[in-house]
Amino acid sequence: MTAMTPPLLETRSLGKIYLNDDVETPVLFDVSLAITKGEFVAIMGPSGSGKSTLMHILGFLDTHTSGDFLFQGEQTQAFDDDALARIRATRVSFVFQAFNLLPRTTVFDNVLLPLLYHPTIPTSEREARTNKAIAAVGLTDRATFFSSQLSGGQKQRVAIARALVTDPEVIFADEPTGNLDSASGAAVMEALQKLNDAGHTIILVTHESETAAHAKRIIRLHDGRVVEDTTSFKRRVANENTKLK
Amino acid sequence: MLLSDTLRSSLAGVSSNWMRSGLTALGIVIGVGAVVLMTAIGASMEQVILGQISSLGARSMVIFPGRQEGGPQGVGTGFDSLTFDDLAALEQLKTIETPAPVMFVPGVVSAETEEDAARVMGVIPPFFENQNIDVARGRLIEYADEEAALFVAVLGPDTARNLFGDRDPIGKRVKIGDHFYSVIGVMQARGSQFFQNFDSRVFVPFSTARQVTGQKYLNFVTMRSLVEPSLALEDVQSLLRQRHDIAESADDDFTVRSADQANEILGGVSLGLTAFITMIAAISLVVGGIGIMNIMIVSVTERTREIGLRKAVGARQRDILLQFLLEAVALTLVGAVTGALVGVLLAGVISLIVPMFLESYHFALSLPAIAISLVVAAFTGIAFGYSPARTAAKLHPIDALRYE
Ligand SMILES: Nc1ncnc2c1ncn2[C@@H]1O[C@H](COP(=O)(O)OP(=O)(O)OP(=O)(O)O)[C@@H](O)[C@H]1O
Ligand SMILES: [Mg+2]
Repeated sequence: MTAMTPPLLETRSLGKIYLNDDVETPVLFDVSLAITKGEFVAIMGPSGSGKSTLMHILGFLDTHTSGDFLFQGEQTQAFDDDALARIRATRVSFVFQAFNLLPRTTVFDNVLLPLLYHPTIPTSEREARTNKAIAAVGLTDRATFFSSQLSGGQKQRVAIARALVTDPEVIFADEPTGNLDSASGAAVMEALQKLNDAGHTIILVTHESETAAHAKRIIRLHDGRVVEDTTSFKRRVANENTKLK
Repeated sequence: MLLSDTLRSSLAGVSSNWMRSGLTALGIVIGVGAVVLMTAIGASMEQVILGQISSLGARSMVIFPGRQEGGPQGVGTGFDSLTFDDLAALEQLKTIETPAPVMFVPGVVSAETEEDAARVMGVIPPFFENQNIDVARGRLIEYADEEAALFVAVLGPDTARNLFGDRDPIGKRVKIGDHFYSVIGVMQARGSQFFQNFDSRVFVPFSTARQVTGQKYLNFVTMRSLVEPSLALEDVQSLLRQRHDIAESADDDFTVRSADQANEILGGVSLGLTAFITMIAAISLVVGGIGIMNIMIVSVTERTREIGLRKAVGARQRDILLQFLLEAVALTLVGAVTGALVGVLLAGVISLIVPMFLESYHFALSLPAIAISLVVAAFTGIAFGYSPARTAAKLHPIDALRYE
């Protein structure tokens, strides 16, 4: 038997209960899944099924309340604040459902932001990296614009550029095409596809099946439970089976 | 995160709302401004008084008869405890030199039609050296005048002007009480010192004064110390106590003062002033600090999503803490520097006005006070900015991002 490298991200019977002023809201139940390096995963499911919650936990922005969450085989509960900050700075990045750009700040400075907190990328590389990330989403001519002067689609692309700038292993994208017309949506998906081809792990949430079609694997949530977890190969087979019927 | 990056983020926070930052810093502006202004006035006054001491000479000493608490104003009259024998004994002391007796001559000073309220003093020549008095015109009292008990007088410049206007008083006659004296000199202007006007004086020979008044005691004695002023002072004190048979527990029946002592009194005054200023500073810095804290709480609340985002892209607790602390300090320092400038400006304006009344007043600043108030202000920023900054640093990224 050969020694297996542990998956990049793994959950075992993971649960999440939100607690607000003694009101408990259970959101995730018994979620077990493993994501390895280089995957392109789409998380789907009805609104309120817990997709964003799961993404936030996997992206080290939120904490689970039961079960296990392992990063490269290590229990994440053991990570202190500095260790979590370092993972957020270097290993993962997020494209939020609500963009979350800094107001009164230029496109350039928004994209630059993660580099300010990156422990190893030298100061001298910042400008070049920022410009490269802005170019990758086709916003070079808008670099000096303030975020308030951009269209929704442009804001989404700034958020993606910001997620790219540190060249992280995993990129989480929560409905990255949700606010875009189909042409811009296709451009965003193409960008994510290229990143995946370059070896980045992509995990995205979407409602749209065209968007999900880019993914090699679909995880479907319903009321906080995983109800489907299929690779595209299995999906193709399943689709063909239905057609045959 | 590099310190320079944190600093830039902090300054961006301050400058993003100039109006609010300015109003917030107002408490600090007033506090530091008040401290800088008050210490500047204190420094100017200190120079005025030090100037007076040095013009008198640091070695200068005076003995008054009778116990004097309030200082040398109106002293000497009515007390007869200082005698000619005391003077003879003082001459034997090794720790002082040139003891010079002074005897007042009562009576109005007049010349032709004019009168003057000058005080008339009978003195011997060393008196002028003891008191650093120079002649402007003519000559001062000399030993020949003293030996012959001549009716000659040296006028202070104010008295000379009051009696003779622009005319040269030398060789003219003045009347003091019932006697006429011929004017032999005018002393150089001295201005006011320790609230006595030295320029409204008339000096006559000591022997003449003694002859005219028939007085058996001295009004005061001036001298110079030859050793450390405080030692000379002790020496004079023990000599006179012994001569006057004063019991161990009883008070002196005389008062010895040295110019050096005035220095000490000055030290006491400036200590009081310092305590007062410190109190003002403390109060206004606390008030200013609460303003800073208030605005930092608002700033943290307003920027909760920004904090969440920064944490989401890798900011550590200490990065956020430092950013908001520096923001508070920057806010405070902007206020403190503005306050210091305002204080310096006001001190400048005052130094243009005061010399109209007090000639020797010049613009001066207390640089240590400015430095200390800037440092204290910065610490105020840290102290009052800490709690809101910590709140910001402790925020959970996702909670902060969800904040509405
Ligand atoms: N902070 C919170 N406190 C309490 N309950 C929460 C909180 N955040 C989310 N929830 C609840 O958790 C459930 C899942 O929310 P989540 O945002 O993960 O859904 P989602 O699948 O991303 O939905 P959508 O497709 O609309 O974005 C919802 O019922 C929501 O009300
Ligand atoms: Mg969601």
